[in-house]
Amino acid sequence: MRAYIIKRLISLVPVVFGITILTFILIHMVPVDPAHAYMTATNTPPTERAVAAVRAEFGLDRPLPEQYFTWLGKALRLDLGKSYVSQEPVLEELKHSFPSTLLLTLAAVGWLILLALPLGFLSAVFKDSIVDHLSRAFTFVAASAPPFWLGFLLIELFALKLGLLPVMGKGSWQHLILPSLTLALNYAASYTRLLRSGILENLKQPFILYARARGLKQKLVIGKHALKNALLPVVNAFGMSFGYMLAGSVIVENIFAWPGLGRLITESIFNRDYPMIQGYVALMAVVFVLSNLLADIASAIIDPRIRIGDDRVGV
Amino acid sequence: MRKIRFLLSGLLVFAMLSGLLAACGKQPAGDGGAQNAPASEKVLTISSTNDIGTLNPHQYNSEMFAQDFVYENLLKYGKDGKIEPCLAETWEISPDGKVYTFHLRKGVKFSDGSDFNAEIVKKNYDAVLKARDQHSWLELVNQMDRTEAVDGSTFKIYFKNPYYPALQELTLIRPMRILGAAGFLEDGDTSKDIKAPIGTGPWVLSEHKKGEYATFIRNDNYWGEKPRLSKVIVKVIPDGETAAAALEKGEIDMIYGSGVISIDTFRELSKSGRFTTLTSDPMTTRVIGINSNRGAAKDLSVRMALQYAVDKDSIVENILYGTEKRADTLFAENFPYCKLGLEARGYDAEKAGKLLEDAGWKLQPGKDYREKDGKALELDLCFIAADSVDRSIAEAIQADCKKVGIKVNLVGEEEDSFYQRQKNGDFGMIFGESWGAPYDPHSLVSSFREPSHFDYQAQLGLPMKKAIDETIGKVLISTDESSRQKMYDYILRTLHEQGVYLPISYRTNMAVFRKNVTGVTFATTNEIPLVNVDINQQ
Repeated sequence: MRAYIIKRLISLVPVVFGITILTFILIHMVPVDPAHAYMTATNTPPTERAVAAVRAEFGLDRPLPEQYFTWLGKALRLDLGKSYVSQEPVLEELKHSFPSTLLLTLAAVGWLILLALPLGFLSAVFKDSIVDHLSRAFTFVAASAPPFWLGFLLIELFALKLGLLPVMGKGSWQHLILPSLTLALNYAASYTRLLRSGILENLKQPFILYARARGLKQKLVIGKHALKNALLPVVNAFGMSFGYMLAGSVIVENIFAWPGLGRLITESIFNRDYPMIQGYVALMAVVFVLSNLLADIASAIIDPRIRIGDDRVGV
Repeated sequence: MRKIRFLLSGLLVFAMLSGLLAACGKQPAGDGGAQNAPASEKVLTISSTNDIGTLNPHQYNSEMFAQDFVYENLLKYGKDGKIEPCLAETWEISPDGKVYTFHLRKGVKFSDGSDFNAEIVKKNYDAVLKARDQHSWLELVNQMDRTEAVDGSTFKIYFKNPYYPALQELTLIRPMRILGAAGFLEDGDTSKDIKAPIGTGPWVLSEHKKGEYATFIRNDNYWGEKPRLSKVIVKVIPDGETAAAALEKGEIDMIYGSGVISIDTFRELSKSGRFTTLTSDPMTTRVIGINSNRGAAKDLSVRMALQYAVDKDSIVENILYGTEKRADTLFAENFPYCKLGLEARGYDAEKAGKLLEDAGWKLQPGKDYREKDGKALELDLCFIAADSVDRSIAEAIQADCKKVGIKVNLVGEEEDSFYQRQKNGDFGMIFGESWGAPYDPHSLVSSFREPSHFDYQAQLGLPMKKAIDETIGKVLISTDESSRQKMYDYILRTLHEQGVYLPISYRTNMAVFRKNVTGVTFATTNEIPLVNVDINQQ
């Protein structure tokens, strides 16, 4: 197990390396000069002299491979460079924004558990009952409502009509409720359905029949045998979703004025802030690999038949 | 079963942890709007689309209104372009127009209590001059040769040439405002960073949480009329609709600026009757540049036909809901040297058609668009796709042009690609905007000579482009009022007659605020003047 985790962690190195090269090539294929973009972002009318000065300052006048290796060399020493626009170190900017987004994502995960687990479970157990129908209605709405629309509906209802929660910003725990709910609802819908169909699928399996034949209580049959097996695909999917939620909170952060990574990176992309984009992508690569690894470990714990590495775990 | 319990308890811990994190994130200070401030304090909460930035007065990565809160310049831009004293009380210009002497205001203190004097003005200006290239867009910096602190309260600027707009440009928010001595880093190089935002302005930054909010308190050392408010909180709200909701909820007291909220939202808020809404006098001109150097628009008659083909009144009424005024010239007449009595070209589809007909652009039977020598009459109109107002205007123009047989292809793109087109001239028509006071007309006119501006690109096909550029060079160093006026007349009249610009409307600043807020006014485009604003705490 430990060897496996170490192996996976080592595999991070080529992944991150490959991704940084790929992003570097991709962002340089965009036909916009970052020096011009910088001047637009800072509201400076571009003159040829100023553009040349900015290009020299950012090292944009150097050949591309040289630019990349200069960046890489520094990045290895954890110096991701300075943001073109804010002039702050990229690492500081990421450190400043990441906790906010992580907090938002964790709260969204809380909602996910709170909504998807009971809804999925109950709608499977009480298939075709009123609970099932209600949960189906919920999942249809939640899955098809785009977050920017959902966000404003929630603001309208909970902040303006009922006056229960603040409209925007970060601060108390009340500020966290609406943005995290908006972020979670889409995912909650699909997880509810995933869990429901997983449980129903498993209930048809011979081992459930056998368990029933053994005279086990219904609670135990569904709880231990069906639910546990149905959780497996959910946990795997979650490994991906966690990364997506972290990386994809852009819209939610903009609507709720949440000071996170999503806002930082959208601005950086528009401003062609290369060091910020590179730093962000490297960070996200690490996050994705790690959350997938965690999901793999979790599924191995749930289902001992899954071997990771050469060990059997969780016995 | 054990494992399930393990998993569930894991999830529970996870959920609790996120709850705990949320609770830890609780941030009582600076949070909340006016409603929970102590009675003795007068707090106004406003919104800003972006974070206020580093507040480096010599750099461009801050919000201008916030720089204007904290820092002042030698002079101030008054109503209709009148130059008023600020940190300098009086000034003289040498007869050759090359030496400016400023007599500084005495007894002015920075927010940290240190004294304002000629020495510190010199330190600031010299720091800006050190990074000349970066500020090369500003002719003032290009023309400044050196500075001199004659004594404690006399400061001189020596120019390379007589440069008449120097006074206007000494009112700018950046890059020439004055930072206190303690605000400089040891090496004095402000092009990199500053130590602390210390200025002489009416407000002092007291707290800044990046991406969330900034708090400004009244500067008790301020030399001018002291603000009535004791505190201003600026909350960062990127989305206009969210800002509107925050205003309705009472989390902010005022939304201020141009383009912060959509025109629809502005109308909704003003119709609700719960807020006061104001629009300013013309600030800038919403204009479309017509490329005289490319395709069908090389033909003067096509450019002129466009002037008559577009129904601007309808655009103002139906798209802008009357929040802006119809524009007929590149600069509104209330700008200096711009009262020229140029012909106002109204909507006249017939005239447009005749112009095209006479120039040989004929409508073949069974076709929608005119042709000449087998070439169709078509033009690209470029705009930023995400800008819903520009998009609607573009669609209106497309429909109007179709009526007279001009095919307009809409090219809506992402911001940077759009600006790239402005810079390299890859457009038939393109959206643009004048710069507003105190830049208009002289700075914008000066930029006509820069290849990286759409103005330059659009004018490139004019036979008299060279003469225009030469006149611009002369007008900026002119010392005589009447010849200066004549030169502006030539430049602006020629461009008007050549139809390089299709002015649409004069943009305005907007303010929406709660009824208990009073004294809201407008200054130049990028300022939020709060000195006279008062709030009645309910």
